[in-house]
This record gives sequence, structure tokens and C-alpha cells, in this order.
Amino acid sequence: MARSRPTGLAVETGALVERLGLALAPERVHTGGLEDVLYGSDASGVRAGGVAAVCFPETTAEVVSCVRLAAENGRAVVPRGSGTGLAGGAVPVDRPVLVVTTRMNRVLSVDPESRVAWVEPGVVNLDLTRALEPYGLHFAPDPSSQQACSVGGNVATNSGGPHCLSYGVTGAHVLAVEVVLGDGTVVILGGLEPDPPGYDLRGAFVGSEGTLGIATRIAVRLTPNAPDVRLLLLDFESVDDAAAAVSGIIAAGIVPAALEMMDQPITEAAEAFVHAGYPTDAAAVLLVEVDGLVDGVASEAARVDEIGRRHGARHVRVAADPAERALLWKGRKSAFGAVARIKPNYVLHDTVVPRTRLVEVLRQVYEIAARHDVLVMNVFHAGDGNLHPLLVFDAREPGVLERIKAAGDDIVEVSLAAGGVLSGEHGIGLEKRQFMAQLFGPADLDAQARLREAFDPDGRLNPGKVLPEGSRCGELHDLPEGTWI
Amino acid sequence: MDLSPLERFAEQVGPDGAVTVVGGRTQWEVGGAVAPGTRELRAPAGIVELEPAEMTVRVGAGTTVADLDAALAEVGQRVVLGGAPGATVGGVLAVGHSDVRRLARGPIRDVLLEARVVSAEGRLVKAGGPTVKNVSGFDLCRLLVGSLGTLALIGQVVLRTWPRPEASRWLAGTTDPFTLRERLARPAAVLWDGTTTWLLLEGHGVDVDAESRVAVDLGLTEVASAPILPPYRWSVPPTELSRRSVDEGYGDCFVAEIGVGTVHASRPQPPRPVAPGVQALTERMRAGFDPTGRLNPGREVLGR
Amino acid sequence: MNLGIDDDELSQCVSCGLCLTHCPTFRVTGDEGASPRGRITAMRAVQRDGAPVDARFVEVIDTCVQCRGCETACPSAVPFGHLMEATRESLASRPGYQPWWRRLGYGALGHHRLVLAGSTVLAAGQRLHVVPRRLGLPRLALRRPRLEPTGEDVWLFTGCVMDAWQRDVHAAVVRVLSATGAGVGLFGPGADCCGALAEHAGLGDRARAQARRVIAAAPPAGPIVVDSAGCGAMLRDYGRLLGTPDARAFSERVADVHEWLAPLVGRLPSPAGSTVPRRVAIQDPCHLRHVLRAEHHVRAVLAPFVEIVELDDDGLCCGAGGAFSMAHPDLAGDIRARKVAAVARSGADAVASANPGCSIHLAGAGLDVRHPLEFVDEALGLGRPAH
Repeated sequence: MARSRPTGLAVETGALVERLGLALAPERVHTGGLEDVLYGSDASGVRAGGVAAVCFPETTAEVVSCVRLAAENGRAVVPRGSGTGLAGGAVPVDRPVLVVTTRMNRVLSVDPESRVAWVEPGVVNLDLTRALEPYGLHFAPDPSSQQACSVGGNVATNSGGPHCLSYGVTGAHVLAVEVVLGDGTVVILGGLEPDPPGYDLRGAFVGSEGTLGIATRIAVRLTPNAPDVRLLLLDFESVDDAAAAVSGIIAAGIVPAALEMMDQPITEAAEAFVHAGYPTDAAAVLLVEVDGLVDGVASEAARVDEIGRRHGARHVRVAADPAERALLWKGRKSAFGAVARIKPNYVLHDTVVPRTRLVEVLRQVYEIAARHDVLVMNVFHAGDGNLHPLLVFDAREPGVLERIKAAGDDIVEVSLAAGGVLSGEHGIGLEKRQFMAQLFGPADLDAQARLREAFDPDGRLNPGKVLPEGSRCGELHDLPEGTWI
Repeated sequence: MDLSPLERFAEQVGPDGAVTVVGGRTQWEVGGAVAPGTRELRAPAGIVELEPAEMTVRVGAGTTVADLDAALAEVGQRVVLGGAPGATVGGVLAVGHSDVRRLARGPIRDVLLEARVVSAEGRLVKAGGPTVKNVSGFDLCRLLVGSLGTLALIGQVVLRTWPRPEASRWLAGTTDPFTLRERLARPAAVLWDGTTTWLLLEGHGVDVDAESRVAVDLGLTEVASAPILPPYRWSVPPTELSRRSVDEGYGDCFVAEIGVGTVHASRPQPPRPVAPGVQALTERMRAGFDPTGRLNPGREVLGR
Repeated sequence: MNLGIDDDELSQCVSCGLCLTHCPTFRVTGDEGASPRGRITAMRAVQRDGAPVDARFVEVIDTCVQCRGCETACPSAVPFGHLMEATRESLASRPGYQPWWRRLGYGALGHHRLVLAGSTVLAAGQRLHVVPRRLGLPRLALRRPRLEPTGEDVWLFTGCVMDAWQRDVHAAVVRVLSATGAGVGLFGPGADCCGALAEHAGLGDRARAQARRVIAAAPPAGPIVVDSAGCGAMLRDYGRLLGTPDARAFSERVADVHEWLAPLVGRLPSPAGSTVPRRVAIQDPCHLRHVLRAEHHVRAVLAPFVEIVELDDDGLCCGAGGAFSMAHPDLAGDIRARKVAAVARSGADAVASANPGCSIHLAGAGLDVRHPLEFVDEALGLGRPAH
């Protein structure tokens, strides 16, 4: 969208851009109308304005320069990795300086014996795992966007992925992180030792969506490849049956490496893309992956098969080789994008509900979609109750955007009412701030605001994200004594 | 009107005055002694909600780890919390020391999903959420584990449970622990005192048998129990646990957790250097949550 | 400005970003503006929201290699190739976008005698050391072998630049195909340039004129094989490009040479002698992989004759991109460096590439690159003079 910049700001921005160009390199600092368009959004599609400058630092020192220069010129800083975030975490608000980490993309060191690697934030998640293949190791967090998303982005959103059910989310795989704070200070949070002194600042940083600092180097834990792995595909005639099977598996004391469910519409879309032989007439399919030692895997796979059939699975297909396994996973991981074959636009929701309430919430999601006359498809991490309803539509259709929004609001409401939370993986970003007050009370939000303030007292980093306005009610402390409120 | 145990707890904490929470006093000295005159409180105890199908449990922070374990055992689950006899759930979380099973099960901070705490202002605050996955807002739970009660006082928590392992077996011998760890797929713990190596295997019966065979081939034999752990904890990058001798400053004896880096020693670890940036952040954090310094005065997290 | 992009096709992208790491220009710059998603966002801004066609927009569009790797990666089936071609054609209708000398150059490609003559002049110039190295030209032959047809069972399209600079490849192809027992015919005059370069430059009219000439010069019946993946993809697209029944019928006859040969590999003799098979890395030209989708046929043809080594870079473009490497030498060089590193990691001694642009570009970095059928020709000893 071409909007001419207000002339009042033009001079200031020009000076800032020039100084940034001197600190980095002129060709690595962009500004202009098309940059506003290109960098005005991420995968969420949300737009809130343009940018003052887009910077591509290549070193920690250059990131420090960007942060310092932005502060000196009264600009906020918004970090961005690959721009695959779904909650609008990298969307610029109020013409900030955007710090893009894509050029900080080196794997700095790999120590297979201690199972630690230091990486720059712009390293692509799947590139890291591929680089580790010769060592028999991998990076466990495997979000669906892993072929594009960056490790820095994984840290910012505490990414999950299908395998986090048994292996844990990103936070469990980050040992230390070098961070540039809002005032340009560089600190290392965490460490390679098991219990670094002080608070778990590293843990607080993971999942903070670019509001506490910019990660410039990350020490990640490397996971040995399981000696054996088996992927099963079960299909069911009803969603209820599939969900009951999931509960049965958990109740039997099995924690699979991954446990994913897809409903019929999305299975059909995925199959059209990958041609993996997904049964497109099943009401729901389950992808269950078990891994570990050879004997345990065999026994777990057999039990999953038995439990599945007991709950009505029509077929149980086991991937015969790594290629088939990869293809089946590709179908699951491409599911979101594949829906565009049906309608060109989608809004992807991300809520978590207690697993035992999953079927009930799912039924309500279908009802909500029908009530608002929108199309919904579902894919989710059934093992941990993380639901991803996709509302699919054509934005050009008059009035559809309001219905989509209304449906989305209702979905959040029923999820919270069932005892769930706002986000399992994608984060709050810009999109979900409005719901934070439904999940947290004023004292809760105030506590979160204090955490943020300790890191970024001046509110320079990614302001306007995560917490709604006015979360910090502690301003009362700053009022002079005797002030009448 | 009847207050819930949590609300009563918050009321007891009140808005001012130095205050601390007492559990089983099993790790009372960690971080330093609490200032004299500090009021001692007890957090609510008891299982509030046990949901085996959800793999979560909601429990009062004053519950002993033993009582929690007994309740979970009845449904075939457990939470690995460590802790000496008498230790409370809130206590082990506030101190943040992990069990020796950390090698396979991860650190203790990963088990805390939700915490209901009382702030320095005496208000009830909820951190986290009751679901196994949650990235809604900032992760206060992470900060709370190991915070020694300096940010808020833990009243009630929701913990992630795991299935109780079908089999559990200790083995010991003089095999090199580093070699042992390389050869095994998923040891639960590998401990070493410079001479003897202990191995804990947990999991499916068939897997434990298979790994036992590997261990036995490498020279270990089954033993009845775990080694006794010396009282002080060191935190050392695991790669620095080398095949060096005992004379590392650990004192008369030590037991090191191979692959983790925790060393149980008979002498305390010398103070570790803290980067200035981290010092400043830590101070800002504590001051932000507790401006008047009334929560656990005298305890310092940087001396943990 | 209306870029002439079909609105449905332009709406298809959901901004998921899965294309980014399959795009060579994004990989080497990290810039959203050098990614398919960014290019689509820019197209939407111009076509729908009135954004200006300024230098930055032109740069964003021009720096696309048009490798179509994004299409294979896209789960939403966005037809990026169409979007880019339509945009380039709209831009080309504006003055200054394609300077007159470029248009002249693309036009000259259709005049084969000019191409051959020019090539000989360049070859002489190389020997006199007056041709700058940085043009990245291979060592051109002063004299080219005469290509002789061996029958009329299948027809080989010989093209423009490839016929001038790599006629020995055509000769090897004729030998290998003939060794299956088939007779190989050659297109007559007029069928010299498939028009791909003009099409990619947005010169749609010239491209379509070229297409009509090729179709008119085609032999009346029989399968047509192409040993340049770029040309093969273009010929296969004539049906859509011209929209006539003739054009569609023509396109149906076209196959990549490996696609035609793969089922007949069994008819070839066994490799000559007892030499150890060479370790050869396969570089799939983008048009082979993402448009013709014939890369498995290359492997089927090569497997009996060499030890195939697969690269670990997901088949990312080599940076040649037809005329791209001349228009954007720095970008093309950076992209090529990634491919060279991948080849080094693979431990292969040589590279098989089924497209002249790619093989010339990679050879410019010092790699030993041949057409896959040159490896077969060598292994069968077909090129050696009979004793």
C-alpha cells in the first residue's frame, strides 16, 4: 500500500536511516513505501502500519547499533526472523525500526559429545536439524513451518510442533541465549551448566515474543535420534471415536512422540497436495508416532493399534520406510497451506483445552462455524489438547470478514470456558491481546507487566504486543503520597 | 463468607511485613538465612484435583512430595520432584533443585504448568495455565521455580504428570561412566563418585531389560538402591566433568550426575561469577515484584 | 496499475511463508522483497492498492530467477510462474523496462545464422583475448561438428544458444538415442529459438511469434525430444501460451529427452570397458524439476552408467536463470556459491546438468559439468572413433 510518509517525519527518518546505514552497510538498511508493504505483516496477515527502516544486521554488535540508534531517535524496535509467525508478533506498529535476523544464519558450533550447538537466530529450524544428521542428532522442536521458520523465532514463540508432546517445547531445548536488551546491553541468560545462578531469566525470555530482548546467539540442546521410530495412521468414522482413541492411548500410560488429529475436510486438502494416500472419506484420522528402543517401540505400536481398533479405527496403516513416514508428515505439516485449494484465505486459531474436553469443544467449534455460516476445518495436536481450527473463506466475499471475526471470538470463548488457554504455540502477538483479560485478572496481568518491565523498563522492544494496554497497574506506586485516587 | 484455603493464605500474607513460607525445612539454608523476625507461614496442603486423563494434578504447595507421590501412584502416574523426606511441593519448586533423573526427565522447572501465588501486595496472582502447552503471555512459572520465594509466595500449583515407569532398576560397577552414557539409549541417571558408576534405568520392562544387558556387558551389576548423595550441590557444565581425580575442591567425596553437570559434594561450591548485565536484571526483577523487600528478606537468589 | 494478473490466482497466496527457503534469492539475501511471498505482496499492492511501479518494485520483480521452485513448495498451489510472467509482460509494455538493445538481442536469437556467426566471432575473440572473462562465457568452439540425422523415429529440437555453443552435446544425444535403435531426426530451419528468454523478459509478443515459427517448422508427426530443460518446458507450454488446438497438439508431442529415453534404457548396450563408474552429482535444472517434473527420468537414465550422488540442498536453483546470470551477476554468483558448496559436500567428481544455461554457469565456477547424456555417451564409448 503506497502511503506517502508525513513530511514531518521524513527528515528524522532520513537521518536515522543514514546512521543505520553507516553502522551496518547502506545496502542492508531499507526504507520506503514498498518496504512498508513487504515488511508490514508476517504470516498472520495483520497490518498495522509501516516501518521507519528495515535493518539486516550480521553481528551482535550491529544488532546493538540498531537498538541504540532506534532508542536515540525515539523509535521502537521490532525483531523479525522469517516472518512466519501467526499472531502478528513481527508486525510493525508506530513506524519502528525492524531488525531482521535472516542474515545471521550460521550454525556457529556443534558439540556432539555434550549435545549442544550454538546458532545464530536466523538459522532455519529444519536447516539446523539437517546439519545435525551426520551426528545422529536433531533439534527437537519441529513446528509445521520448520522448513521456513528460524530458531530465533522458535525462541520468541516457544514453538511446539507435533513432537513436543514427549520431547517438550522450545524452552526445554534452549540452554542459553545471548540477548541484546532494549538499552543495547548484551547479556547471556542461562548457561551450559544445569542451574545457572539467579532466576531462570532464560526461561522467562523464551516465549516472550521479542518484547524482552533480541536473541543474537542461542545455545540449543541437541537430541539423539531415537533408535527406532514408527508412524501409524488410523482412520475413524467419527471424530468422537478418534478422540476416544486418543484418551485411550493416554490412559494406557503411553506418551507417544506425536499424536495428531485431522478432520475430513483438511485431510482431503492435504491429500490433494501430497498424494500420500490419506483416506479422504474418513471423518477423522490420527497420526501416532512412537519412538524409543526397538522392543519398547514394537510393544507400544502394537498397543496403539489395539487401542485404536477398540475405539473403532477402520484401518491402521504403518509407514513402511522413512520415505513414507516423511510423506505422511509432509501432509500433516502442509495442511494449513493446502486449504487455499478450497478457499483463498484462512484464519488459523490456536487454543489449548484440557484433553478430556476436546470432543465437546470440537463439537462447539462446528456449531459456531455453522451458526456464522463459515467453513471450518480442524487439525490439532490431540495429545496435548492444542486445537487449530481453520476458518476458511474468500476475503472478497462481502461481509465475510465480520462473520469470521465473530466466529473466532466465539471459539476463544468456548475454549476458555472449557478451562483452556489462549495459545498453545503461536503466541499472543497482536491478534490475541484483546483476549488476555478474559484469561487473566488485573493482578495477573500486572505481574506479567512487571516481568516485562524488569527487562525493558522503557518499553522499547516490540511495544503493543502480548499485554493489553494498561496491564501495569503499578503506576499507583509512583504517585506522590496523599494523592487522591 | 468462607474463604478458600488459597484466599486464606493470601490474607495471612497480607500487604506488609517480612514474611516467609515454611515447608519441611529440608533446604532451609539455600540462598542464605531468612532475616530474624520474619513471620513464618504455611501454604495450603492437599490434592485439589487429580486428572490422570489430562496428565495434570492440582495440589496445594504445602503438600509433601511423599503424599503427592502416594496419590499419583494410585493412578499409575508420578511427578519427578526429588526432595528429601518431609519436603513440600512448594519448597522443592521454590528452591528449584532437580532430581537425579534429570538426565532423562528434564529439570524440575519443566513440571510447573500453573501457579497460584500471593504477591508482595498480598494479592492472589495466577501464573501459567492448567494445560500441558501454553504460551499465553509471559512465563512467570519459569521465574518462580528456583526463585526462593523472593518474587511471590507459592500457594497452589498445577503439575504435569507422567506415567509411572513399568520397571526401574539400579546397577553399579567400575565402568567408565562417559562410555556407559554413550552406549545407552535413554539412561535415567548416570552417577559417578570417581571410582564407582551407578546407572538408573526406567521405562518399559522390555526396554529396561535390553539396556540392562548392555550395561551388564559393560561390567555393571544390579544393586538394591541409589548411592547416598553428599549435602552440597554444585552446578558445573557437564563437559567439565571429566575423568579427572576427586581433587576438584568437592571435598572428601562427591557424586556427579554425568550428562547433567550437577555434582553433590561435601563442600559448598565457591560463588560463581555473575555477569553485570545479569546482576542488574536480577535486581530489577526482584525490586519490581517486591519493592519493599518483604518476601524472604535475607535470601539471595544469586547465592543459590 | 493493472498488472494483468488473474485476480483468483493473485488471491491464492495465504502468506504462510513456506516458499521462502526454496527461493534462491531469498536464501542469499534474507530479504522478504526477494522472496515469492514478498513478490506477491508487492504485486497485490500495485495491482489492487495503487502502489507505484517504482525502482524498488522493478527490482523486486526483476531479481526473481523464475526457477518455479516456490510452486513445488507451495501447499496452496499458487501459480507463481503465471503471476511473474504477467507482471513482467505488463512492465515490458512500459518504456525503459526492457532497453532496445536487450529486445534486439532476444530478437536476434531467433535468427540462427546470426547466432552461429556471432558465436564464431566470439570464439575468435576469445583466442585473441579480447573477450572479458567476467562475461562468464565458456570456451567456444571455432568449428562446430555437423549434426547428422539418423532417421525419423524421434525429432531432436536443437535450439539457439545450445546449438551454437554446445553442439557436441547434441551430437552425444543423437548417438545415445540412436543406440536404442531409434532414428533421430532434426528440426528444419525456423525452429531455432523456443522463445523462453523473451517470455521470461516479458516480451510476450516476441515469445508468441517465436512459438508460432517453431510449430510451423515442426515435422508433421512423431515425438519431439528436447535436451535443454529450459527449452523443453517452454515447448510444453506452447499450448497454454498460444491457446490454439495446433499449439496444444504440438505440446503434447514434446518430451524431455530423458523422459523419452528412460523406458528404453534397457535397449542400450552395457557400459564399455571396466572403468570405475564416475561419482556424479545431479543438478536438476529448475525447469526440469519444477515445471517438467521429469527429474526421476534423469536418474533412471544415468543409474546404469554412473554412481549417482544426490545433493543435500533440496534442488535449489543454481542461479543461471537463462539471462538472469548476465543481468544480475552478483546475485547469480552468490546463488551459485551455495550450489558449489553443496557439490563439495557431496564428494562428487563431476556434475550432470540437463540444461545449457545451468551447465555453463556452473562451469564458470570451475566445476566439471556435462549433460547427463554426455556421461552415458562416454560410458558407452559411442563418441570414440571406430577402429
